[in-house]
Order: sequence, then structure tokens, then C-alpha cells
Amino acid sequence: MKPWPLLLLLSTTLFAQDDLWDDEDWGEEETGTVWSGFVEGSLGTRLDTDPLIDNKSTLEELRLRAESEWSPGKATIGFKADAAYDGVTNEWDIEVRDLTAAFTLGENFDLKIGRQVQTWGTGDLVFLNDLFPKDFVSFFAGRDDDYLKAPGNAVRISRFSSAFNVDFVWTPVFEPDVYLTGERFSFFSPLAGVNVAPRPPLSAIEPEEKFANGEFALRLYRTIEGREYALYGYRGYFKQPNALTPSLEATFAPLTALGASLRQPLGPGLFNVEGSYYLSRNDSSGSDPRVPNDQLRLLAGYEWEARPNFTVALQYYLEWTLDHDELIANIAAPEFAPDERRHLLTNRLTYRAGRDKHTLSLFTFFSPSDGDFYLRPGYTYRYSDQWSLTTGGNLFGGNDRHTFFSQLQDASSVYVRVRYHY
Amino acid sequence: MYREILPALAALAFAAPGNAEVLTSADEIVARADLAAYYAGADGRSEVRMIISDAQGRQQRRQFTVLRRNIEDGGDQQFLVVFSQPSDVRNTVFLVDKHIDRDDDRWLYLPGLDLVKRISAGDKRTSFVGAHYFYEDVSGRRPADDTHELVETTDEYYVLKHVPIDPANVEFVSYITWIDRETFLPMKIEYTNSAGNVYRRVEVFDVEEFEGHPTVTTSRVSDLLTGGQTDMQFRYIKYDIGLPETVFTERSLRNPPRDWLKRPES
Repeated sequence: MKPWPLLLLLSTTLFAQDDLWDDEDWGEEETGTVWSGFVEGSLGTRLDTDPLIDNKSTLEELRLRAESEWSPGKATIGFKADAAYDGVTNEWDIEVRDLTAAFTLGENFDLKIGRQVQTWGTGDLVFLNDLFPKDFVSFFAGRDDDYLKAPGNAVRISRFSSAFNVDFVWTPVFEPDVYLTGERFSFFSPLAGVNVAPRPPLSAIEPEEKFANGEFALRLYRTIEGREYALYGYRGYFKQPNALTPSLEATFAPLTALGASLRQPLGPGLFNVEGSYYLSRNDSSGSDPRVPNDQLRLLAGYEWEARPNFTVALQYYLEWTLDHDELIANIAAPEFAPDERRHLLTNRLTYRAGRDKHTLSLFTFFSPSDGDFYLRPGYTYRYSDQWSLTTGGNLFGGNDRHTFFSQLQDASSVYVRVRYHY
Repeated sequence: MYREILPALAALAFAAPGNAEVLTSADEIVARADLAAYYAGADGRSEVRMIISDAQGRQQRRQFTVLRRNIEDGGDQQFLVVFSQPSDVRNTVFLVDKHIDRDDDRWLYLPGLDLVKRISAGDKRTSFVGAHYFYEDVSGRRPADDTHELVETTDEYYVLKHVPIDPANVEFVSYITWIDRETFLPMKIEYTNSAGNVYRRVEVFDVEEFEGHPTVTTSRVSDLLTGGQTDMQFRYIKYDIGLPETVFTERSLRNPPRDWLKRPES
């Protein structure tokens, strides 16, 4: 039995709302345990069929979120987990998104240990120096944007000083992105020259678990007069399985990245610029076609409120593959090789009405060099503090099958989600 | 000897009810109102709850704690707003670096994404977390953004009219404030739109004194066009608690300063 009736039951039993103003109920001083979360039902369907995947459904789930926080002594324990029934895979899924112990050590140090979601960098849905895991399957399927950021098991040490702040994140066991496996969405295989949906689904070879194969991420940052400066360093692996083992199995290539960013007010809006050099440690010369080349990634963005409640955000992103000639000379199928310079333009339009009761948004990815696009229209209706409804689409298109968004053409879908917060 | 003392006593008697001195400079009244409304103490904390009602009577709630620190009286300030209710905005944190000589710097921390989102300068007269309050109302509109005119002095109020210097940036053409002559707290504000109608009203219902600072404890913003309103209550107010500058940094977005947010015992 599918668990939909639960949602109907909740709608009738939990909707009672206390609306007394002068009750002097200011809530417990929050030393006790407060549980909160939501129940969400989601449905999403493909607009076309994918000949490789029987299921027309891209999203079909009932999700329960529970979260809480405790502060025993000087520590803070955080907990946030989802239990979801996924009707696409016909599985119950339990995902812990946060299970951390956080400590403040003296004046200037914070320490956070455990499973956690982390974000840094200035890009909006474009990531250069943020090499924390992303869940692209959730993103393309139409789950809430929060799910794009996948949790990882890590130790985060932060040091604060007036000169600059430092964040150091050690992820002992490499945590890749949640990548396309062929289970929910088919993907383009350069080896096959067509889209594939392998059975069993793709499971890329991950690096052996040892200290040297962990991920080390560093950020130095400081804000001076409203300008946010940051330097980044990373040693780990490309987060997508874009390399091949000698026996041509998908795997992750070693990566070292160095970058910098600046975000500041400019005119009526905000300007950001970010760059990162991706050093592919196993193929710095670019001659090994099984391993990605070095890359230079650059981003510039501007966001402003064009009209009251209407925000426009534009980004230009460049992915420059270095030693491209070497790549083309050695690769078996040069027609599927990435362009030397992949240009990507993004545009986020957000309109809020009725004091944020209604939010209309459109995020557009468009690559003039790849000739492909990805549109994310969305509408959220916040009916009350408890109930909200979100509907939207993930629409892909392009000229060539092998480019990033184009490979997902058969994954274009629309979805609706209803959420009850408790 | 009595002849010398009596006139002095008489002068004292007349001066006794607070600020009997009648101000005539609109700019001075506005400056004192700004100090009274936003700069009490060297720093302060308050818990706030809002009930947001739409024209249909449907209600939403918000609850948060505000920490504030003055860098200079009437000058730059810092604000940290940490949400506790409702559950979908719980642990959302809003940080403001208010500047007098340039636009404020504002950041919003979204815990679900671990994202420190910056808010652009132009985006200030839009709803603050769904309320009829604006982002700008949290930290206060700069007196220098408007020209001020003293329209009337009543027994209780200075009545002033304010006209924006850059009308393209705001949705109003002018607004009128009723400033309490005693406390210098603005007790009522009415905003007029380009059609000449009063479309937005801010009212103060209760003022209590904390550590010598008269402080608003109940207020309301009404949207007179659509019929909605936001009621606000302020509790657990304390001044001069010694907030350090380090509380108002990115560190507090990810790791809210629990010791400073804790509800005071008295």
C-alpha cells in the first residue's frame, strides 16, 4: 500500500491552530527539546517518455522530516533526518542530513563534527570552490532546493580573528555528488555514444578509504567595508564520476583546486566574481583521455531588485578546459569531448507577491557553446505557517545529445509538492 | 535669601514634566526620535513575536530574538535577528550592518542549504519574513534619506511630514509621524502614496520603561489598501548587556551566540 492516505489524515487532524494573542505564551526558554519538521507529499512526471526507463514518474514520495537540537553543557547536538517512501524506486529511504556535535573552543575556535550540509562560494546554482557534495538527482527530480546540498561526514574547524577567518573541513571518506546512475534518469555515455540506463545502475569506483584519499577543504575569508573576500583550497576528487579506470569503469579523478572570490555591493545591487583553478592531479598534461584535464573556472554575477519584489540575478560562467589540443589528439571520440571553453549564462527571476505568500521564480541555464538549456520555473504558495504548495518544472533541451543539459531531454518533468510543517 | 531661591524653584517646577522645552527644529526632533526608537542604551536585546493577519483574517506567526549594538549613537549599528518560530524559518538568521554614509550590508542565513545569502541594497522596502514590516523597519530608515518639516506641535506630539529625497527608491510620496514630546518615540506613522491616499499605518499601543529607556512593547502595521496587518509584541527587553562586536559576524549566522540569546532571568 502506498502511504498517501496518511497525508489526508494529517490534513484533518493537525490543522487546529491556536490563535490567541494575549495568552502570554512565549514558548519555553529553549533549553528543552523542541522537535519540528514536516510531512511532504510529492508527485512528478516526465513530459515525454524515456525509451530507456519504463517509469514515467520522476518523483513520487511521502517524506517525513524530524529535527531537533540539544545543548548539553557547552556542546550543541544537532539532528535532522528524513524518512521517505520513494515510489519511483519502491523503497523506504532514511537519510540523516545532520547529526553533529558543535563546540565553541575558547574565544576564537568553533568545531563541528559529524554529518552536515556545507556551502561556501558566491555562485547561485553554479559551483566553483564549493566542492561539498551535491545531489543532482534530487535537483532534477523536483525535490526542494535544499536537497541539492547533500550531507557529508566531516570535521569542520573554524578560527575567527580580526585579520581573517579560517574554515578547514576534513571529510575523511570521499563523499561524491549524487550523480546520474540511470535509475531515475538516463545519461549520455561517451563510450556508447548514446544515452544509457545501465542495470544495475551505474556505481562508480570510489577511492580507497585511507587518510590520503580524504577530502581537505580550506577557506580564508574576511569582510572589509562590505566587501567579502575569500580564498579557497581543496584537495580531493572531482565530485562527478568523469574519469575511467584502465578497465573503462567510471571513477573519480584526483583534484586539487585553488580559488578566490569577491562579493560586494555595486550600484543598486550585488556583484560577485569567483575563480578556481582545477588541477587534475593524474592528468596535468591533458594527454590521458580517461582523466579530465585541468580547468579554469570563472564566474561573474550581478543581482538587483529591478522592481519592488522583483529580483533579477544574472551570471556568466566559463569552464575552460586546458590543454584541449592534447585532449582532442588522444580521445577516441573527439565529437563528444567538452568544448575548450564552455560558456554558461544563468538568469534567476524572482517575483514575490502578497508579502511572500506567493513566490514565482524562473531559473534559466543557457549554454551558447553547448547549445543547450535547462529551465526551472517554479511557484510556491505559502498558505499558512503549516501548509505550503510548490509546483514547477525541470525542462531540458539542446542540439547535441552529449552535452550536460541536453542528455536530460527525456527527463524534462513537472512536479507538485504539498508540505505540512509541524 | 528666599527672594533668590524662589525664582529658581519656580523654574524647576515648570521644567519638571520631562521635556517641557519645545523644540522647533524638525531635524533635531527627527534626530532625537531616531535615537529614542533605535539607539537606546549602548546595546540591547529583545524577543519579538508577530502575528501577521491578512484581509481574510488568516494568521501567521513569527518569533525571534533581536540583538543590537550601537557603534556610535545616531551612527552605525549592528543587528542580529535569530528566528525560533515557525518551524520552517527556525534557525534562520538575519544580520545587518547599518551604515550612515552608505547602504546597509545585510545577510540572511538559510540553514537548510547552509547558505549565507546576501541581500541587495535596493531590496529594503519589501516584506520582512512575510510581515507588513519591511526589512528597512528592522534597523530603521536613515533620517538623511528624507527631508523633514514640523507641521504642528500639539500638547502631546510633534507632528512632522517627511518627503523622500530619492522618491524612485520608495513606494511612498510622503509620511507623517506623531512623535511623543516626552519620550520622542514615534507613536504613529502614516504613509501616503502617489494617489494621495494613506495606505500604510504604523501605530504604537504600549510603551514601557526599561532601565530608564522608554521602549515600545506593542505596535501594529496596517496595510490600509488590502486590509491586512501585523501586530508586534516585544518582551524580555534588556539594555547595556555588553554585546561584543564579534557577535555580529558570519560566525553567528552558522552558530548563533546562545549565551547572548538566552532569555534574561529578570
